[in-house]
Amino acid sequence: MRPFQFHCPSSAAEALQKHSRDQKTHYLGGGTNLIDLMKEDVERPDHLIEVADLPFKEITQTANGGLMLGATLNNNKTANHRLVRKNFPLLTMAMLSAATEQIRNMATNGGNLLQRTRCPYYFETSMPCNKREPGSGCGALNGANSKSAIFGWSESCVATHPSDMCVALAALNAKVHVEQADGSSRVIPFTEFHRLPGDQPEKDTNLETGELITGIELPKSEFPDHYYYYKVRERSSYAFALVSAAVGLQMQGNTIIKAGLALGKVAHKPWKLENVERFLEGKEASLSTFEAAAELAFEDAQPLSKNEYKIELGKKTLVQALVRAAARS
Amino acid sequence: METKTKTGIGNPISRLEGKLKVMGKAKYSSEFSFENLAFAQGIQSTIASGRITAIDTSEAEKQEGVLKIITYQNALELKGYNGRFESPSTKGISPSLQTPEIHFYGEYIGVVVAETFEQARYAANLIKVTYAEDQHKTNFEEHLDSVYKPDKANGNPADTSWGDLEAGLNQAAAKIDVTYNTPIEHHHPMELHNIIAVWEGDKVTAYASTQMVENAVTTIAETFQMPKENVRVITPYVGGGFGSKLQLREHATLGIMAAKMVDRPVQLTVTRHEMFTAIGFRQHNRQRMRLGADQDGNLTAVGHDTTSHTSFTEEFQETCGLMTRMLYKTPNSLVTHRLMKLNLPSPRWMRAPGEAPGSFALESAMDELAHELRMDPAELRIQNDTQVDPSNDKPFSSRQLVECIRIGAKKFDWKNKWNPKPGHTQKDNWMVGYGMSASSRAAPYLKSSAEVTLKRDGDAVTAVLKTDATDIGTGTYTILGQTVAETLNLDIKDVQVELGDSKFPVSPGSGGSWGAASFANGTREACLNAINNLKTLASTDEDLTVAELMKQAKLNELTATGTAAPTEEFDDYSVYSFGANFCEVWVDKDTGMVRLEHFVNVASAGKILNPKTAYGQIIGGITWGVGQALTEHSEVEPNHGNFITRSFADYHVPVNLDLGKIDVVFVPEEDYIANPMGVKGIGELGITSIAAAIGNAVFNATGRRVRDLPITPQKVITTPVTA
Ligand SMILES: Cc1cc2nc3c(=O)[nH]c(=O)nc-3n(C[C@H](O)[C@H](O)[C@H](O)COP(=O)(O)OP(=O)(O)OC[C@H]3O[C@@H](n4cnc5c(N)ncnc54)[C@H](O)[C@@H]3O)c2cc1C
Ligand code: SF4
Repeated sequence: MRPFQFHCPSSAAEALQKHSRDQKTHYLGGGTNLIDLMKEDVERPDHLIEVADLPFKEITQTANGGLMLGATLNNNKTANHRLVRKNFPLLTMAMLSAATEQIRNMATNGGNLLQRTRCPYYFETSMPCNKREPGSGCGALNGANSKSAIFGWSESCVATHPSDMCVALAALNAKVHVEQADGSSRVIPFTEFHRLPGDQPEKDTNLETGELITGIELPKSEFPDHYYYYKVRERSSYAFALVSAAVGLQMQGNTIIKAGLALGKVAHKPWKLENVERFLEGKEASLSTFEAAAELAFEDAQPLSKNEYKIELGKKTLVQALVRAAARS
Repeated sequence: METKTKTGIGNPISRLEGKLKVMGKAKYSSEFSFENLAFAQGIQSTIASGRITAIDTSEAEKQEGVLKIITYQNALELKGYNGRFESPSTKGISPSLQTPEIHFYGEYIGVVVAETFEQARYAANLIKVTYAEDQHKTNFEEHLDSVYKPDKANGNPADTSWGDLEAGLNQAAAKIDVTYNTPIEHHHPMELHNIIAVWEGDKVTAYASTQMVENAVTTIAETFQMPKENVRVITPYVGGGFGSKLQLREHATLGIMAAKMVDRPVQLTVTRHEMFTAIGFRQHNRQRMRLGADQDGNLTAVGHDTTSHTSFTEEFQETCGLMTRMLYKTPNSLVTHRLMKLNLPSPRWMRAPGEAPGSFALESAMDELAHELRMDPAELRIQNDTQVDPSNDKPFSSRQLVECIRIGAKKFDWKNKWNPKPGHTQKDNWMVGYGMSASSRAAPYLKSSAEVTLKRDGDAVTAVLKTDATDIGTGTYTILGQTVAETLNLDIKDVQVELGDSKFPVSPGSGGSWGAASFANGTREACLNAINNLKTLASTDEDLTVAELMKQAKLNELTATGTAAPTEEFDDYSVYSFGANFCEVWVDKDTGMVRLEHFVNVASAGKILNPKTAYGQIIGGITWGVGQALTEHSEVEPNHGNFITRSFADYHVPVNLDLGKIDVVFVPEEDYIANPMGVKGIGELGITSIAAAIGNAVFNATGRRVRDLPITPQKVITTPVTA
């Protein structure tokens, strides 16, 4: 690990102030991702600003009936919070499928959004990787890409976003609250928070350097009864998804009134399925409808040399998530 | 004589050192501290083939705390190195940093020594190496035409045959000809490989994590061309080995060399990332199985052809066909092993080398044959049982394979559960299937010595047992304590066991499933000698207690040594452990995720010294088998030739939730041909044929025969339904 300076600010303002607004400074949440990457010499910050203790540890009800999840609250406390369990059980289910109890106890909500890809080339400093070292090439494009993206990738990067929590947040139409150094703040819709790689794969999100995440806002609860997070993985726990699907449905009898859908581990960002949501709205819940929805969802998929299986697997995962969400109540 | 001790052999007592381990008081090799201890960090190559043309250490050398940077340019010349690497024996020289040539990605090319671990690691990242790169050969498929026949496959003949395989296949009523692939897997003991080297003049002490103390001494002596008396190896606790610690390899050479060059004690710990390439691994094996049987299920032909890869620096091939040679009777047999050389690290021994992948091929093929014959796979095994080893015509010292199968079938309720039609049972989205397999593993027994010291205080006698044997997490302390308690009729609380020091009498070390049998017999021999000596000194023939004997001989202390070794009779028999496995799996019909619901393992493995530690060995073996079957594999990067997933986030070892319910049954067995105590090894039997049982159950659940391990969701959904 390279030497670095460690800062423990006592307020958000101080944290924002200390940030050098370039890649030399990183905020530190639970450290479950950043510290690993520093040990592997992938991330090489000169300054770490600890934000895990900043006072964004509450879960509060918003005026319009939603929830605000503090950015520094840990993943377990968030997932198991009474109001989250009651009103956003899809989020609970997705979050508890991630990592392990120990890691979730350390991991913060802000850090979860900003965890980096698990693309193995990104972790191996001797390998080419545009995300780690812009211009060095993309090792996965014509290499070991069985776990890479099937949507929205570019020649410069085919990585996927690994988070489970974020897939549910995309399905739930969350918003991210951030603060800037000058004290101003802004709210970013979840679908615009993460970005596609394009020709700048080093940028995972549309966050500006130095911006601090303070909270995640969930709109009024829409899917407390019909929901499912289906995560397909290579072992029963403690593994990232091969593909996953987050489904929230609002039903009247057997009719779908509203749908919130997103796929995980298929793209550089949680893959929100807006057209499929519209397709489902007003339809009767049935296997054939769900299969048609899955066809639509994967219409534009573009597999790489070793990940074509993800299309078939992804369709089945989405269908099953829909079936289980519709059945649940 | 007073009543017999309750803490002797056969009792399920808890590990003597368990509490120490839980409290962090069991000292592993990296936990010895020295004033002035410096830390070394290895540097590994980042190309798979070529040579180093330049190394720029200038930036690294400037860093605080850096003491020395060693590369091939300034390394100690290892006089024992004759320009080539020894073919792997567990002894022999372990060269490092002697040439600029690169044979595989991840080869050690240097080491940084600094005041602290962090400084060494940081400086290592600053070293810039320039290479002249050659086209690497790492693709197994592309080099199949370069295969050759090795002299030996892990010490066994590469090829064996009897009868006429083709003729046997031609006369068969049912036959199969299928190919299986098992992937590259890694051992990854929980305790990282480690050495602390301390020189005093021309003598060196190595605190090293190793399975075999005596081999470690020999390796150091030969590598550094010094007398063995000048080498001491200490390893009281070892946190797992699985074959990766049979030898002291390059990292140990680096640590000892570094200590010499900086003239200070040096610690070198191999990181988890480095362990993927530094300590051996299990090679990719391609296995073609040809089986034929008559209408009644009698095998008419058994063919097993294995193709694997070795490195350009060593030759090693695990003997996948070993079990195929001896498990079933057949008039026609052909078993072959072929190798190609690739720019990958050297594969080496890994838990049940040969049997683990070989049993997957044989026992899956038997299942496929049973399916062709429309026969119960358990019955097919019973039908082909033999009490004479078909490979050498020797009788088995004991063989209870059929008993294992029958007991397991009963415990599992196989007759009622198993249904030959794949896809017979569905529960919600799960398809339920049942599978079984038979297993066998040699039960070797080697020369082993020990020393026991008895001390008397009034009527109380305590014993201290010393041997250089190791406890690699298997429970050696406990079973040897029980052996002493049993033989001397003491309570185990009055017995102290000291292990893992080359000052102690020589044992064969832990490996090859011979540890428990060999150490225990050596220990018993020392205790019997102590009793005999006492009787002589006390001038009595009576069976008195050791306390009474010592009193009568007016002794407060007595030390005796003993050595046990196989007799000539041992060679007249084939000595093996046997087992049977039954399991139930659930396969998600859409996503192909496999869940192991229930596993029953029955083992016939001689006298069980301690059912608790033995049970631990078997569930550990099953866990390994589950990893082999469902989750573990290393992928070779196609363009650069490295193992691309070098962390536990990507290399998936199974977790608790993957295991389901496990039942283990030990079949009573008295086999005094195997050795005087009738003890056989179980550590490797435990993993053998586990993957086959699971794969067979997946087929039974889905009608999909996945012949390439591991059976991942991706493979399940892309393998066609064939039954
Ligand atoms: C072995 C392993 C398995 C895992 N398995 C899963 C899994 O199955 N599913 C899953 O979803 N996740 C998984 N994870 C990932 C885990 O969820 C993330 O590591 C965790 O959520 C990151 O949170 P953190 O607080 O520790 O982030 P940190 O490591 O502290 O930070 C991550 C990034 O976020 C930035 N950051 C942190 N807080 C803020 C803030 N408030 N404002 C701005 N920037 C900030 C940091 O600068 C850094 O760049 C796994 C991790 C490990 C190590
Ligand atoms: S996919 Fe992205 S992260 Fe992976 S190697 Fe290519 S550029 Fe790097």
